[in-house]
Amino acid sequence: MCGLFFARKMMSFSQPFSSFSPLLAVNTAASSLFENVSFLSFLTDSFLVAAIVLGLILWIARKATTNMQLVPHPAQNFFEMVVEFFYGFIESIVGPKVAPRAFPLLTTLFIFILISNWFGLIPGVGTIGWGEGNGFGVLHEVEKPLFRPATADLNMTLGMALVVFAFWIYITVRETGVWGFIKHTFGPKGGLKGFMGAVMVVIFFFVGIIEVISVLLRNVTLPMRLYGNIFAGENVLHTMSSMLDGSGPVVSFLGSVLLPLPFYFMELLVGALQAMVFTLLTAVYIKLSTTHDEEGHGDAHH
Amino acid sequence: MHPILADAGSQFGVTPAKLIAQVVTFGLVYFVLNRYAFGPVTAMLEARRKRIADGESKLEKIARDLAAAEENARIIVGKADAESNRLIKEAGEGAVLLAEKKRQEAITEANGIIAKSREAAKLEQEQLTVQLKREFGRMVVDATTRVTGKVLNNDDQERINRETAAQVSL
Repeated sequence: MCGLFFARKMMSFSQPFSSFSPLLAVNTAASSLFENVSFLSFLTDSFLVAAIVLGLILWIARKATTNMQLVPHPAQNFFEMVVEFFYGFIESIVGPKVAPRAFPLLTTLFIFILISNWFGLIPGVGTIGWGEGNGFGVLHEVEKPLFRPATADLNMTLGMALVVFAFWIYITVRETGVWGFIKHTFGPKGGLKGFMGAVMVVIFFFVGIIEVISVLLRNVTLPMRLYGNIFAGENVLHTMSSMLDGSGPVVSFLGSVLLPLPFYFMELLVGALQAMVFTLLTAVYIKLSTTHDEEGHGDAHH
Repeated sequence: MHPILADAGSQFGVTPAKLIAQVVTFGLVYFVLNRYAFGPVTAMLEARRKRIADGESKLEKIARDLAAAEENARIIVGKADAESNRLIKEAGEGAVLLAEKKRQEAITEANGIIAKSREAAKLEQEQLTVQLKREFGRMVVDATTRVTGKVLNNDDQERINRETAAQVSL
């Protein structure tokens, strides 16, 4: 560790070919900024980015909602458009009754995930940090980056999934009641009577157990999907940036700029897509658990 | 903790402290957006929606009032039209009556004037007749006096005048 420096790709064109494997371009875990201080171990590079994103969102929100007028100013107009779009979108999925409660969390999820995902595309994220020195201000390899996309940390994606899970339980119990939730999960459907009805009770009890498992597994699938996509994107960008390292200063520089360029556009798309997927799945989970049986029950998540 | 979970947690750097820190961060983002963005924006959207709804209802009321006013104006114009026609008709009839009345008055007045003129002429004729008779009597008396050479007294003159007047039929 040689302190805070820019990575080789950002500052120098004349470094020798790196010996690291492209498959290990980015650590799977976020790095603590204060490793030696145990009670500050939670302060990671991804936490720092999450805090910056929080500040950014706070600034945008304050800017958009300060001095609000019936005839809106541009920032207010933009934010109102976003809010209206998301409210209508969420309402169309979860229904008008649940929408007022689900809207704040779902929209927060989308905005936060989107900004966090795209934050990883800002030059310097993942390439500024601590590592083995190779001259003044230049690192041979960034071993501990200063910034890491918040969504490329499983702590964050898992945390969001747990929040979503807690909210899902709250809104489901609130809408259907505890007995309604149990009946909805384990109760037989189809209205069969007699012997077939008894068979259906047994079958749907096991179906309910499977559903409970699938619900619990959402706490794995949701965070891993998001983390995996963003982490993979970070890896792709780092790998493409260092593909031509050691091919001479000019080629190395051009390669580090041009090769990852198409993937930046792809990552823009992936970032938006993953934010939408996380939000959409959460909305669908809420919709499925708060919809009454007579309205139909599509177990799309099975 | 199960060894597999512990291994996965270690590999991905998941620790309770980091997890809680990230949950708190996300909770803050939720709080910030809900407090400073969604709340005011949805309130503003609701206020605008209400204002638009009020405007729409006012617009409908204005349209209804306008239709009622137009209907009212149409009724008033119809009434005024009928009234004016009646007045014109009455005025026409009044004018005819007045003209007839004036004509009758003129005829009456003219008849009166003619009657008076006739009376005056008759009176004048009678006066002239009387005067003529008197003159003729006087001339008869003078002629008698001259023919007879007798001075006629008043009784004679009176008798001759009476007889002459009786003989002259004018």
